[in-house]
Amino acid sequence: MEITVQLTNAPIAEKIPPPASGLAGAWTEFRGLVRGEENGGPIFALEYEAYPEMAEREIRRLLAEISVKHPCLAAKVIHRVGVVPAGETAIYIGVAAKHRGVAFALLAEFMDRLKQDVPIWKRRALPVVQPERGSMSRSASESQRHIEIAAGHGPALRSLDEAVAEICSRCQPMPPVRVSLEEAFGRVLCETVCAPEDLPSCDRSTRDGYAILESDPAENYQVVDMIHAADWKLRQLQPGEAVRVATGAALPCGGLRVVMQEHVERSGGKIKIIKRESVPNIRKRGEDVKAGEPLVQARARLDAGKLALLASAGCAQPLVSPRLRVVHFTTGDEIIPLAQTPQPGQVRDSNSILIRSLLQRWPCEVFQAHLPEGFQLAKAESGKWKAEIERAELVLVSGGASVGEKDFTRPLLEWLGFETAFSQVNVRPGKPLIFGVSGNRVAFGLPGNPLAHFVCFQFAVATALAKLTGEAPPKFLLGRLTTALTDAACPRDTLWPARLELAELRPLPWASSGDVTCFAAANALIRVPANCDSLAAGAAVDFLPANF
Amino acid sequence: MRVLFFAQLKDATGCDSVELAVAAPLSLEQLWAELLEKFPALAAHRASVRLARNLEYAGPQTLFNHDDEAALIPPVSGG
Repeated sequence: MEITVQLTNAPIAEKIPPPASGLAGAWTEFRGLVRGEENGGPIFALEYEAYPEMAEREIRRLLAEISVKHPCLAAKVIHRVGVVPAGETAIYIGVAAKHRGVAFALLAEFMDRLKQDVPIWKRRALPVVQPERGSMSRSASESQRHIEIAAGHGPALRSLDEAVAEICSRCQPMPPVRVSLEEAFGRVLCETVCAPEDLPSCDRSTRDGYAILESDPAENYQVVDMIHAADWKLRQLQPGEAVRVATGAALPCGGLRVVMQEHVERSGGKIKIIKRESVPNIRKRGEDVKAGEPLVQARARLDAGKLALLASAGCAQPLVSPRLRVVHFTTGDEIIPLAQTPQPGQVRDSNSILIRSLLQRWPCEVFQAHLPEGFQLAKAESGKWKAEIERAELVLVSGGASVGEKDFTRPLLEWLGFETAFSQVNVRPGKPLIFGVSGNRVAFGLPGNPLAHFVCFQFAVATALAKLTGEAPPKFLLGRLTTALTDAACPRDTLWPARLELAELRPLPWASSGDVTCFAAANALIRVPANCDSLAAGAAVDFLPANF
Repeated sequence: MRVLFFAQLKDATGCDSVELAVAAPLSLEQLWAELLEKFPALAAHRASVRLARNLEYAGPQTLFNHDDEAALIPPVSGG
């Protein structure tokens, strides 16, 4: 096959002619383009790096190898290096063949192999330059203009679904960062991590026993070696030979089966097999995951199991969402410190710890302070925390949001530079919820009542946090009531507090206690009673929640 | 022997190549030991990095000589 390979800094031509041999009946072309989006955020370009000499050689080697299986006449591969703008071709391949079938087959297999073996890397994504962040130092007339823009932005009252959709569309994911695994718990993974090698990396025994040739029919065997769990010894077994293996041990060659130690009689260096199972008791190389297959998908939140899986794949510096900075102000003169006894009309401050605790699900830095009642006083006090507010991606203000004389959350947020997107949601509790936007930063005015506060956090703030960190936003799930719900009539949708008691559990497949891919997906442990062989779908089971 | 670093390994080592004095041929293990001594930050990448010798991926038996060009190949992402 005639092979042409080119690595280039320059844009790849729009039209590339087929080779003029006259023998080809098919000329199939593929172009891989740079998508204008990476990890949910818009990008302007990707930067590619290559080990050019080896990349060219690998491309030639792969094409030559694959063309043995799918014989073609010619192939031309062009790969860009350096900065490639979104929308441009990063890789081009054209394949000439007598008939289209082999050309398609070669092309498809080549692209898969290229992504495993050819030393070319997407070095980094160049993000689209974001609009400038809002600033508190606006003049009064600028703030006024913002209020007018907000007023002209559609109705200030939103339905629950409209509010959630608007929050989703106005919150942009923050640029991801690379951190060590120790710092990554709770962050959202911003790239799909693939297995660098097969998992498990070789055929392993799932039993303590003896490895013999799979098709060896003999009854008596000579034990020629012993392999512990951490050993690796290559050895081609001969008929009549057995190797003592521990559970988890790497097998010495292919084509084996393992006979459990309970099924043999051992005397000195010999064993006699008394029972052969139908299963080979082997976990095959690549059985959990094959090299190059996705291990953990982008947008997954990294919990204990997923971090362990990343560690087993050697991914020490995952690309994740950055730590968020959150500023939370409580307001209201009726709020008193916890140590004081409330006088009539006063309440102890429960919202500070509520918000701080709810935010723990997202790795973040939380700054909290109390603001006095009234726009002028609150403005003066919040001015002390200018630096904290300006660098926060999320600003929360509790209380002071119902339509009373003293309500100043909306003007305060607007004075801080947040354009009001909406100021009411048609939901119970939590109607007076304010949502403001300033460039990439967002703010919420949360109604002060603790339950309304909790509800608004769950449907609104959690949605914003998910979008800011690049995670899929929370969704309503389908459940079933165990007792009737009555007296719910209200012209608004109600988010009624409930307790989740029943769960539906999908047993995951697992074959061995070494299966790291299994527990990365698991979040519960079903208790299967001893000697119970199977449980029907719909059966009641005990379970322990795990790995949240 | 010259050892080349690519992509994130440039960040880990702070350079794109290093010259190693090689008296006798090095096994894969010995080469790694040398590299990790010079660049401890490479340890985190070891499980996912493949070695190449003279533009070809190295196997478990590959020996590296003083006039070879070696390269550390982190997981690739071309296309």
